[in-house]
Amino acid sequence: MPFSSFDTAALARSLAQLAGSDEDWVDGFFERTEEIELPPDGEGPGFSIRREEGFAVRLVRDRRAFLASRDGIDGRSFSEALRQVARALPAASVPEPDLPLGPWPGAPGPPEAPEVVDFAGLLERAIRAHHTAFPLRLTVRRHRRWLQVATPRLVPSPESESYYSLSAEIPGGRWGTLLPQLGRSEAEAVAGQLVELFRARTALPFSPRPGAILLGPAAVAVLLHEAVAHALEADLLALSGKPDSAIGVALGSPILSVLDDPGAAPASVRRTTDDEGLPVCRRWLLRDGVVEQPLADAAWSRSASTLVPGAGRRAGRHDLPLPRSHHLELLAGTTRENDLFDGAERGLWLPQVRRGTLDPRSGELELLFPFARRIYKGEPAETLGPCAIHGRLADLLGKATAVGDIRRAEGAGWCAKGGQKLPVWATAPSLLLEGVEVTR
Amino acid sequence: MSERVRSGVSSAAVEATLKSFLARGLPEVEVLAKRGRSRRFALDGERTASSYAEERGWAVRAGDRRGSLFACGTGDPNPDGPWPPAYPPALRLPTPEPPPPWKEPSDFEVPLIGEREGLALLEGIARELTAELPRGRVLSATLEDGSSEGQITSSKGLAATFRGRLAALRLEAIGPGNPRPAVIELAEREARRFNPKALARRLADRLAVGAAPGLEEGAERSGDLLLAPAVAARLLAGLAPLFFGPRTDGEISAILGNAVRIGSEAVTLLDDGRFPGGAFESPIDGEGTPTREVTIVERGNFLGPVLSPGQARGANPTGAAGSRAQISGVARRASFRDLPTPGPTHLYLRPDPKIAVGSLLASVKIGTYLIDALGPARFDFATGSFALPVCGLAVENGKATAPIGHAWLSGEISDLLRGIVGVGRDLAFLPLDGMVGSPTLLVKGLVLRGR
Repeated sequence: MPFSSFDTAALARSLAQLAGSDEDWVDGFFERTEEIELPPDGEGPGFSIRREEGFAVRLVRDRRAFLASRDGIDGRSFSEALRQVARALPAASVPEPDLPLGPWPGAPGPPEAPEVVDFAGLLERAIRAHHTAFPLRLTVRRHRRWLQVATPRLVPSPESESYYSLSAEIPGGRWGTLLPQLGRSEAEAVAGQLVELFRARTALPFSPRPGAILLGPAAVAVLLHEAVAHALEADLLALSGKPDSAIGVALGSPILSVLDDPGAAPASVRRTTDDEGLPVCRRWLLRDGVVEQPLADAAWSRSASTLVPGAGRRAGRHDLPLPRSHHLELLAGTTRENDLFDGAERGLWLPQVRRGTLDPRSGELELLFPFARRIYKGEPAETLGPCAIHGRLADLLGKATAVGDIRRAEGAGWCAKGGQKLPVWATAPSLLLEGVEVTR
Repeated sequence: MSERVRSGVSSAAVEATLKSFLARGLPEVEVLAKRGRSRRFALDGERTASSYAEERGWAVRAGDRRGSLFACGTGDPNPDGPWPPAYPPALRLPTPEPPPPWKEPSDFEVPLIGEREGLALLEGIARELTAELPRGRVLSATLEDGSSEGQITSSKGLAATFRGRLAALRLEAIGPGNPRPAVIELAEREARRFNPKALARRLADRLAVGAAPGLEEGAERSGDLLLAPAVAARLLAGLAPLFFGPRTDGEISAILGNAVRIGSEAVTLLDDGRFPGGAFESPIDGEGTPTREVTIVERGNFLGPVLSPGQARGANPTGAAGSRAQISGVARRASFRDLPTPGPTHLYLRPDPKIAVGSLLASVKIGTYLIDALGPARFDFATGSFALPVCGLAVENGKATAPIGHAWLSGEISDLLRGIVGVGRDLAFLPLDGMVGSPTLLVKGLVLRGR
């Protein structure tokens, strides 16, 4: 851990000088990030590495937030940042805490990421196993992040995250995903999805027909992120009223129980504290379809005693934290996968989502699908072209009629709320919805 | 203590890094060092946020005929690395050219907007909006004012310095009887140029028009169209990918209907990285190549795509459009983290200084004055079609008769530039993909549709 030699007591004492009263929230945020990227064949440069470190000091007083951030980490810059954030200059000069950083992992040798370099070959072989081939422009990235948050009262253990992102362009369109690991089994899963997308390029145009729809786990992950997580973020709830007034509202079908649990995320992205240093919890967003606990950060939880903090996330040191989800879970139901398909006979199987958006003011949700499969005799049959679901999120969530009994971990994808790009994760089963209008 | 140059990065570290790559046998090396400062203010309901950020970093591109690498980081580069391995493809850096004379604008020296001043500007806009439109309300407002400076050094003898200044403003407001918020995004070189009263008036107009009923589903509205700069610039931004990067005559012809004659006599389209007063005004681009004014379309004739030197080396010289390519400094680099990416700098349609907007409006017998776009344009180069959500005013005999809250301006991409029959003098830029600008345009042959 790069921050293990920090003099955390001195850090906490320095931060304490900013707090004018018990009501003030003060924190220091230290981060180190690394991104290794291998672009598509023939597109330069051949290998990229981005390594950054820096920090931010923040004061939240009443409804005002003040932030000073810097690239690089040293005691002098930290002390300067404290003075910039202070609303009144301290009587004594701010001491410079000792902030020695550990070496980058892998140093002194060259940074290596063999799994990144090897993945394109694994994927190519996995695609060939489907007896098909197509032009593929693949970008593979490895992301690593180390964090240390400090407050005047609490200096939690440092946190780290490591994951991969893939983006591909094929004749069927663009595609991307997040993965906690990269290896042969991931290559096979990705190949299956790319082949499906490639084959869908010649599909018949989508024609609306009544029937149920069955969302695959990857599509459910996006639905949960847009329709449940974003809808229950305290800052977005505040656009249309008091955030805590959402508690107790029936937002979806009683078969839906949705949690945000960063502690149950895949091991390499698992968190015990959020980006404000507060403990995360197993947060029931919906219990039996009813809102139980919206997502809140420290600032929003201070505005309403019923809001629990622990969901403050930030893309980096130069950004202020916002309420965000990290790892969403839809609790498994009791319906077997075969029965879900039977229940959606003549309906649609929607395994992939191209994009999802929610208008937090109107509650209008849009999910765009790159293709659909008609369900016939309990199996995905003919492939149809791109289609979409538009509607109010409560209407849509109210139409869930069955939840699958097998859950799969999925990277729900990148979320760019407020211009802050963060990875979001999900574990979800398939979901059957009835009476939903799917349009072209 | 080593000398610290404009970038705030040690010049000794930059030199030593350059030498260390040459010693490793990689003859093509470029080291960029950059630092920036910015202040950011946000109003969000009753909450305010005020941030001050300092960024300081470096980036290295290095390679030979076999492979290349890119590395960047914060602070000073360590000449000893560790550096990543080089992988194909090869890297060839541009040969440096001395930039033509350029006088640094005096506003580069103006200090960043202060905390009280910044928040007062946003609060002023909110107050003015309420005065212009009772029950109108700013939902969120964000102002960012920043400056940057740096240097680029390469093994080919490039040693250039650069500076930049940019202020960005985003406003989101809501008005009575209109659930759809109005959003305005603007960029200037300096935050103090934003005028609260003018911005509030623009928001109020947008909200008042947006509250009106839109065209009904399936309905069409023909006639002349007057496109305000905010609408016209979005359409130009949609076309921009056709004009930057290697293109063949066949591609241009398939989308724009002809490889050369793509617009009316009224259309002269330029890109100018040193546009006086422009938000991105600079004598060099992100890899040190001099910027200049490039005419892309002259009186309706496409003169050739704009390429960065790197793209020109890789372009197919046998394609006719490629052979007409114009090389210029268009490689943009937003931060030290980013690779140089060719694209528009200040792309704009040349205004006609003799034509006032009022005279264009007066010439409309029956038509529509589109005052703003309600979202991004959708351009489909595969089908050759486009669509842009807009709002505006119905016009009869040069007078506005009724607002139109929502409609889609759509049609064939090939008709877009051909339909322009009049160009005003009110050139205005929007921060889109680069700065994209247009004056008010009078257009024939396009249709407004309901959803």
